[in-house]
Amino acid sequence: MSEKITPVRKSILANIRIQRFTPSEHKSAYFDNFKVKVETGMTVLEALRLIKNTQDSSLTFRAFCRSKICGSCAVRVNGKPVLACSTQLMPILEDFKKDSVSIKPLKNMPVLRDLVVDIEPVIEKLSKMHPYLMENRERIPETLEQESIMSKQEHSRFDYITDCILCGSCYSACSAVDADPSYAGPLTLGKAYRFSADVRDSFQGERMQAAVDQGLWSCAQCRKCINVCPKDTRPAVSIQRMRKMSIDDGIHDTAGSRRAKAYTGDVAKYGQVNKPMLPVIVNGPKGWAAIEAADNYLKKHGIEPTRQVCTLGGQSSTQKIYDKVKELEAKGENKT
Amino acid sequence: MLTYDILIVGSGGAGLYAALESRMEEDLQVGVLTKVYPTRSHTGAAQGGVNAALANLDPTDTWQDHWFDTVKGSDYLADQDAAEIMTREAPMVVREMEHWGCPFSRTDEGKIAQRPFGGASKPRACFSADKVGHVMLHTLYEQGIRHGVNFLNEWQVLSLMHDGRRCQGVTAINTQTGRVHTIQAKSVILATGGHGRIYWTRTSNALGNTGDGTAIAYRAGLPIKDMEFIQFHPTGLRRTGILVSEGARGEGGYLLNGLGERFMSRYAPEKMELGPRDLVSRSCETEVREGRAGPEGEVFLDLTHLGRERILERLPQIRELCIEFEGVDPIEEPIPIKPTAHYSMGGIHTDLNGQTSIEGIYAAGEAGCVSVHGANRLGGNSLLDILIFGRRAGKHALEYARNNSFTPVDTGQEEADTQMIASMMEGDSGASIADIRRAMGNLMAEKVGVYRNGKDLESAVSELADLQEQFKTVRIQDKTKAFNTELVSALELKNMLDLAEVVAVGARERKESRGAHTREDHPERDDKNWLAHTMTTLGDDGRPKLDFSPVTITEFEPKARTY
Ligand SMILES: Cc1cc2nc3c(=O)[nH]c(=O)nc-3n(C[C@H](O)[C@H](O)[C@H](O)COP(=O)(O)OP(=O)(O)OC[C@H]3O[C@@H](n4cnc5c(N)ncnc54)[C@H](O)[C@@H]3O)c2cc1C
Ligand code: SF4
Ligand code: SF4
Ligand code: FES
Repeated sequence: MSEKITPVRKSILANIRIQRFTPSEHKSAYFDNFKVKVETGMTVLEALRLIKNTQDSSLTFRAFCRSKICGSCAVRVNGKPVLACSTQLMPILEDFKKDSVSIKPLKNMPVLRDLVVDIEPVIEKLSKMHPYLMENRERIPETLEQESIMSKQEHSRFDYITDCILCGSCYSACSAVDADPSYAGPLTLGKAYRFSADVRDSFQGERMQAAVDQGLWSCAQCRKCINVCPKDTRPAVSIQRMRKMSIDDGIHDTAGSRRAKAYTGDVAKYGQVNKPMLPVIVNGPKGWAAIEAADNYLKKHGIEPTRQVCTLGGQSSTQKIYDKVKELEAKGENKT
Repeated sequence: MLTYDILIVGSGGAGLYAALESRMEEDLQVGVLTKVYPTRSHTGAAQGGVNAALANLDPTDTWQDHWFDTVKGSDYLADQDAAEIMTREAPMVVREMEHWGCPFSRTDEGKIAQRPFGGASKPRACFSADKVGHVMLHTLYEQGIRHGVNFLNEWQVLSLMHDGRRCQGVTAINTQTGRVHTIQAKSVILATGGHGRIYWTRTSNALGNTGDGTAIAYRAGLPIKDMEFIQFHPTGLRRTGILVSEGARGEGGYLLNGLGERFMSRYAPEKMELGPRDLVSRSCETEVREGRAGPEGEVFLDLTHLGRERILERLPQIRELCIEFEGVDPIEEPIPIKPTAHYSMGGIHTDLNGQTSIEGIYAAGEAGCVSVHGANRLGGNSLLDILIFGRRAGKHALEYARNNSFTPVDTGQEEADTQMIASMMEGDSGASIADIRRAMGNLMAEKVGVYRNGKDLESAVSELADLQEQFKTVRIQDKTKAFNTELVSALELKNMLDLAEVVAVGARERKESRGAHTREDHPERDDKNWLAHTMTTLGDDGRPKLDFSPVTITEFEPKARTY
């Protein structure tokens, strides 16, 4: 009593607006419009490939795995960084109730051509972060006859971060990078934390120094990196945890000491960290740019930015908050 | 001219492991040249596991069991000495990966977790959730950064150079500038991955798995081996070929034809959907051939009867995959699927050290063929293959580079390649890359796919020759030098057309059915005549020339392969 299967397939004639730019030929970027019959199931990447195959073979973009694992294909669709290969077009067209969609390269990186950006600067920042495990000989045996033992719980402290595919979406969205191009960026700090949280590693000190030097305390905690990450690796959370680690370790005599002091000083004074103002405390006037970027982002989402810190009177409440934070963080560490 | 003691082409698991091995000697110049940034290589797509008899789950497991499973799985075409090396050294390389920080999932005792896998008699696939290839690739890259490996990212190799006996180097184009370079090297390791893309959209492979290294070696006169063996996976998504893993069938999914019939009852009434991969692939294909497909030549994997809750709880990743890549929610409708080309057993012929027929030139990984997979690869054995033989190739290339001097090389090849590219860029009208590619993929899937027969293979060979003729008229419309991805595609297509021909000719000649190679007109395995490797070289007439060489049998006499 089987029934013939007739899949439902919709299609819309859409206008795909794509930012173009070839540095050797154009003074500045411009847009081209392409008409494409978008059908159910078509991803942004498929549309780009269709345009390249049938309308303009010079359209330039990156793609490799076409299955959300290689991180090549990140672009901005209607302003938001996404992976072209795992983003369906039909729902976007339907959601925005428009038959038009715009595709632009990622931000915060130089454009090499059309939708292709230069990721070399990001790789360089990453390389400086000691993004590798240095054997902790208390945990890793000298011989290959034995495994190192690591409990499920120890593994879960960092496992979720290893999902990162270095796609650069978070870097594109980051307010701190936008304000200060020398800031390491969410993915690199995420990777740093991944190793420092690994019990098999022995390089926490050097790595922490590298993280602090590259702006661990410049992050505005705007959480945009969390919102755009296609792999849900939550870089802003790693950054928080890395900061906590740096305070616990007590980094002294470094560029980071001011940050650490500002942080603990605030807790003592207000019972809370004056998070919005941290960039200024740390970077001086340069920090204002990060704050403004973060403010604009918040406003766009209908949230009123604040520079006020709510204060709670009395030592005891501060202590309570401290304890609570510790408790929450201990819990958070176990979340995967 | 750039110069390296050792040049590694490809930065997947095989290339990176080779690089780490050869970086151990700090005074040698080692370069890794790769078409994509290292962590983008297709090794990252492997989800299931890497095999090693660690015996963490089943204490009775031994490397000898693994060895036998591998040989049996290969339908006795694997060289048993090679399979022995691989399975015996497996625990060591997996532990080395873990000592370098690879985050394998853990057992309750904190050891590396293992799971059962098709064709394995014991649970020995070491895994990391569903991202084992990804974490292995990243670990190798991270250690590469630590040890100062030199990367040439977004460079595409064009030609391999040797003087008939010894390695000279390669030519390659820097995609970011569009310039062709000669790179002199004492040793070259080709680790360029598989060629599943000769089936174009009918593959689980990355867009760039176009067999470049294999094709380049073939054009440079090196023998390539067992190319007719291509493994298919029964459930690739209709549009993209992306895999829907066996988990969906394991959880109780049905396979339906276009008429809504649960067709596995015709082919495997007992096991139904849980029959072995090759049987399920062939069954899907038969339904399509006999006219019972859906409107677009697909069949369906139906989960709707499992119900919303069960799908959300047990198969959330598969659901997400179907929504993101196919626009279909399996809670609401059946998933359209097609069998998809998954793994290339064949590749550049090497000895146990990864060396090819030319001194100083090595091959490893899916691009190479030692052979350990024979006619059919076991799941979890290819990630192992890339580690074991990547490492061996690295080690031996290092020794070779240490003991030998550079072989002189001129810029003749560079000029020829520059000229070839210039002529493709001249003029406007000609055949289109996309058309030829699509035609190639369709004909490979129909005639050199899951099922093969003499008549179809003959016509495939002649149609491929036509496509090669058409390719000569291809003109690149994009005239910009920097980041010309149309040019990249054209160069890849050239490689694929050469390999597709070798695959089709090999399949035509091999008149038996073995492992992944199924001949409707020769349905039985024939050990008397065909227990042999197919060695293909480029003939003087520009067509593939076939020879056959014996299989090494040391321990296990060929028996029927039944599970
Ligand atoms: C979806 C999927 C799932 C899989 N799951 C498993 C599994 O669970 N277990 C298992 O064991 N195996 C699995 N496999 C198989 C396994 O992943 C591959 O066989 C293996 O990763 C191949 O590694 P490699 O290093 O040989 O090549 P790749 O990782 O493919 O790397 C090839 C490299 O060569 C470079 N390259 C190619 N051409 C050129 C050129 N012209 N110039 C310069 N560089 C070039 C590329 O940039 C790339 O860096 C799976 C495969 C797929 C497709
Ligand atoms: S939370 Fe920090 S790292 Fe993340 S986007 Fe905002 S500023 Fe950047
Ligand atoms: S953290 Fe997320 S968004 Fe950032 S690079 Fe990694 S995967 Fe991409
Ligand atoms: S193409 Fe690899 S993530 Fe999209």
